[in-house]
Amino acid sequence: MALKGLDIFKLTPKTNCKDCGNPTCMAFAMKVAQGAIPIEKCPHMSPEALATLSEATAPPMKSFKIGEHSLGGETVLSRHEKTLVSKTLYAVNVCDCMDAAKQDEVIASIPKVDYERISERMYVEMVYVNHSADKSADDYVALINKVKGLGRPLVLGCTDVAVAKAAVAAAAGCDFILNGADESNYADMSAVAKEAKVLLGVRAASLEALHDTVEKLEAAGNKDLILDVGAASIKDAYANAVQIRRAALKDGDRTFGYPSIVNVAALSDGNAHLEAALLSLFTCKYGSIVVCSEMTYAKALPLYGLRQNIFTDPQKPMKVTPGIYPINGADENSPCCLTVDFALTYFLVSGELERSKVPVNLLISDASGMSVLTAWAAGKFSSSSIKKFMDEFDIAGKIKNRALIIPGKVAVMKGEIQDKLPDWSVIVAPNEAVQLVKYMRDEEWKKSYVEKAPAAAGAAAPAAEAAPAPKKVMPAPPIVVNGPYKLEDKVVTYQGHDPASKKFVVIGERIHCISPAIRKAMDTYDEGPILKRAAEQIAAGATYLDVNIGPAESNGPELMQWAVQLLQQNFNNVPLALDTANKAAIEAGIKVYNRTNGKPIVNSADAGSRIDNINLAAANDAIVIALCSADGIAKDNDERMHHCHNMLERGLALGMESDDLWFDPLFLVVKGMQDKQMDVLNAIKAFSDEGLKSTGGLSNNSNGMPKHIRPIMDSALVAMCMMQGLTSAIVNPCDLRLMETIKSCDVFKNNTLYADSYLEI
Amino acid sequence: MPFAKKPQVFSASINELTLGTGDKATTLGGQNVYNLYSFDAPIANRPKIGIDVSDEPDEPSPGLTAFYAGCTTLAEKAKKAASLEDVDFVCIRFASADPNGADKSVEDCVADAKAVAEVVDKPIVVAGCKNTSKDSDIFSKVSEALQGRNILVLSAREEDYKAVAAGAGMAYGQKVGAESAVDINLAKQLNVLITQMGVDGKNIAMNVGSAAAGYGFEYVVSTLERVKAAALSQNDTTLQMPIITPVGTETWGVKEATASVEDAPEWGDQEERGIDMEVETAAACLAYGSDAVILKHPESIKTIAQLIAALM
Repeated sequence: MALKGLDIFKLTPKTNCKDCGNPTCMAFAMKVAQGAIPIEKCPHMSPEALATLSEATAPPMKSFKIGEHSLGGETVLSRHEKTLVSKTLYAVNVCDCMDAAKQDEVIASIPKVDYERISERMYVEMVYVNHSADKSADDYVALINKVKGLGRPLVLGCTDVAVAKAAVAAAAGCDFILNGADESNYADMSAVAKEAKVLLGVRAASLEALHDTVEKLEAAGNKDLILDVGAASIKDAYANAVQIRRAALKDGDRTFGYPSIVNVAALSDGNAHLEAALLSLFTCKYGSIVVCSEMTYAKALPLYGLRQNIFTDPQKPMKVTPGIYPINGADENSPCCLTVDFALTYFLVSGELERSKVPVNLLISDASGMSVLTAWAAGKFSSSSIKKFMDEFDIAGKIKNRALIIPGKVAVMKGEIQDKLPDWSVIVAPNEAVQLVKYMRDEEWKKSYVEKAPAAAGAAAPAAEAAPAPKKVMPAPPIVVNGPYKLEDKVVTYQGHDPASKKFVVIGERIHCISPAIRKAMDTYDEGPILKRAAEQIAAGATYLDVNIGPAESNGPELMQWAVQLLQQNFNNVPLALDTANKAAIEAGIKVYNRTNGKPIVNSADAGSRIDNINLAAANDAIVIALCSADGIAKDNDERMHHCHNMLERGLALGMESDDLWFDPLFLVVKGMQDKQMDVLNAIKAFSDEGLKSTGGLSNNSNGMPKHIRPIMDSALVAMCMMQGLTSAIVNPCDLRLMETIKSCDVFKNNTLYADSYLEI
Repeated sequence: MPFAKKPQVFSASINELTLGTGDKATTLGGQNVYNLYSFDAPIANRPKIGIDVSDEPDEPSPGLTAFYAGCTTLAEKAKKAASLEDVDFVCIRFASADPNGADKSVEDCVADAKAVAEVVDKPIVVAGCKNTSKDSDIFSKVSEALQGRNILVLSAREEDYKAVAAGAGMAYGQKVGAESAVDINLAKQLNVLITQMGVDGKNIAMNVGSAAAGYGFEYVVSTLERVKAAALSQNDTTLQMPIITPVGTETWGVKEATASVEDAPEWGDQEERGIDMEVETAAACLAYGSDAVILKHPESIKTIAQLIAALM
């Protein structure tokens, strides 16, 4: 938890001695709070004050490793606040009070549950080995030796110090936790744990007593602890689990900042269904290790699915491993349905296909965990990515049926896919997954199936004639300039742009291939709709125009060169942002680009797979929009700034000016991520404080809102962003309210001189 | 420093919503702490359990088939279901009214509902077939027939809230369920729209979306948590309606619950899998914010009742 400047000031000597180089202790404290200077700059801080400070800046909950698993390290109580980092681990209880046969039975049952679900291995991670007071150390050691054979980390549950010593010796060589300290034995038990260098479990009769015991252990120098919530009753255990975690994370009580252990085997008293309920309850809140009496598939299937859901990072999409997923007993003669690797898409599509009862091979291709349309727009689900997938997984070799059913939402790709996979009959499915049941069951897909003649059989097969002709790549026509462009009889001229101006840079977003009219125009090199949108945006006050040509796999370079020249020659060399996943197209576009009104912008690079676009910009002396995210949305501003600095460093190393990297915090949609909006605003402030330029798709905030609301939200946000130091945005300049707000803010920021007619210029 | 408990008690509270009449009436909500946090303050009304009774003849498991053995009408099934001690209310579901399925007539649904009302004295919740136009018709006709029984209709959705709120809520004074699909903004908007039509917010329950554990349940988690946080910590009166979550209809449809032992021998007994899927999903819903869950299996109901009792 960050300390405020005033809290730090209270810890300073308050002498204003200036030894730290600051005029007053108050000024010093404020800078420390901002992280501008380290606290050590003050030579007069007392050791107590330094300890308080380091305590205050320490993470609220300690994190540990046990085997390959992590424990603790949480910073939030709910997954939606940020992300939960250490998933609940499950252990099965075995006790020296059981007879040998029962022990063997339990041990033998542990490896039985072991399967994979969405790229995660699901199994019982640990074994809880319990010692009963009426058994001897030898009994316990014998049991430990048996359990060791499983090769999993152990929790030794034992409050007898002498027995614990023997147990620790027996467990040597495997990862384990010693769960045995209580109010009476903590000093001796801590010594045993410290010598063995293992985590020590602590329990007590009440929360207050537990707190006292942990404080005593910490005072004695042991901070490698895990807290046992106890097994007095379900109510007590739950109250303790919640209150311990809440005290640590919400109330800043670091004495309780440790992982927890919950023994539901002891709480459920042999009731298997109640044990299932408790496993679920304590996975939700807040068991780090949960111990049960037995793990069956019945308990495990929902439990591990639940855990996987809760502990996914809400900012990162859940992905399914690419490959062939046979459904309803599909074999090599069954047709193929292709979709993306976004987990929800997978569940939806596989569920509907299962309901159809038709054997079908579901093909999951790598699309970075995005949904179908998003992946398509980002170039992650394209005819080449599909071709690559089909080759890599040797689908044609593994499956004989040649029907390839693609999602209805990307019907536009059918031709391109057909060109790249000529042996397959590419068929377009309905738009929505729910329609698949009927589509498959009534064999509607067969209507579009085209028999492919084997390559060697020649062209005699009549069905081959029905195959769609390969899409022709049209050569780009010459550039048309018909004198000054007129919009409703008014001449539209681009006024020019001074790259040194401080005025807010409006990048017009309306020339985008996701718009059907533009997509069609680009497909046919029809300049009319493109020039019209350009003119509208320029008339409305756009500084730059963004040109998104989509993945344009077949003709990217030609299309981009045509678009760049068309726009610049018609509109006084209006500066452009070149927006496509196709690098060759961007390079080609820059080759014919006129720099009179500013450098071209490469839209965009990120800190992940698209980081190379920084090199592309550097090599071509272009500006680059640098998205502060890698794989999914950054989880907090530390991560955003980390990405920012990585990309900045790369750009500078390549000889770029820092002004040519425009950082994009990634604007988030209010409907869904309302609680993260201030993060975005604070990131903009952080860019600005470092003297960096920034931009982004600001109107994403109002996605999904009614038409009349969007300009209101967008205008309010742009004003707040400009206050934080945003220097540009990719928006719709035809939104009058938004443009008036931007122009007004430019006046307040003293970026432009006021005149009564300021809105008109 | 000694540990000082800091109970998280809010000045706002969840609305109390009473279903049914007489001594079998049941009340949802009312608490001014997060769900199940009885260590922070006494919980006004423990979470409630409903039983889902479908008018379709087929049950999803042999155990359920055995439970309803001998019942030939919806009323007989509902009576059997209501006889379970741990059941607080009975949710009758007109699944066979679906125009794309058996297309049972509205009149037959009303007759069924009347017959149920004659043999069940516990509160009645009425669910439809998910076809919005058919459902709103069923809801208003059943509401009329069961006037005075203080039933809840599930549900008014974005597409049909006007008809449902006007028919069930305003014309016949029944309780209205507002259903949205794991979208907190829509949940709020729907409550605003229904109250703007004239239904008192105190007569609304919410179904903010449901899923089986493992099937996008993270969206259910975050929606439940955020709704309860807005209701209590921000005193957002448009989200203080108690939440009722149909669990059984979700969990008894996923393959973990429906695959036969022959199809998945290593998974073991189908009944057990179905029960644990229902129990674990229900426990998670209750932990994150549901004030009532609707279950199918008598064993799940018994288990969740034990869990709730142990936590109060």
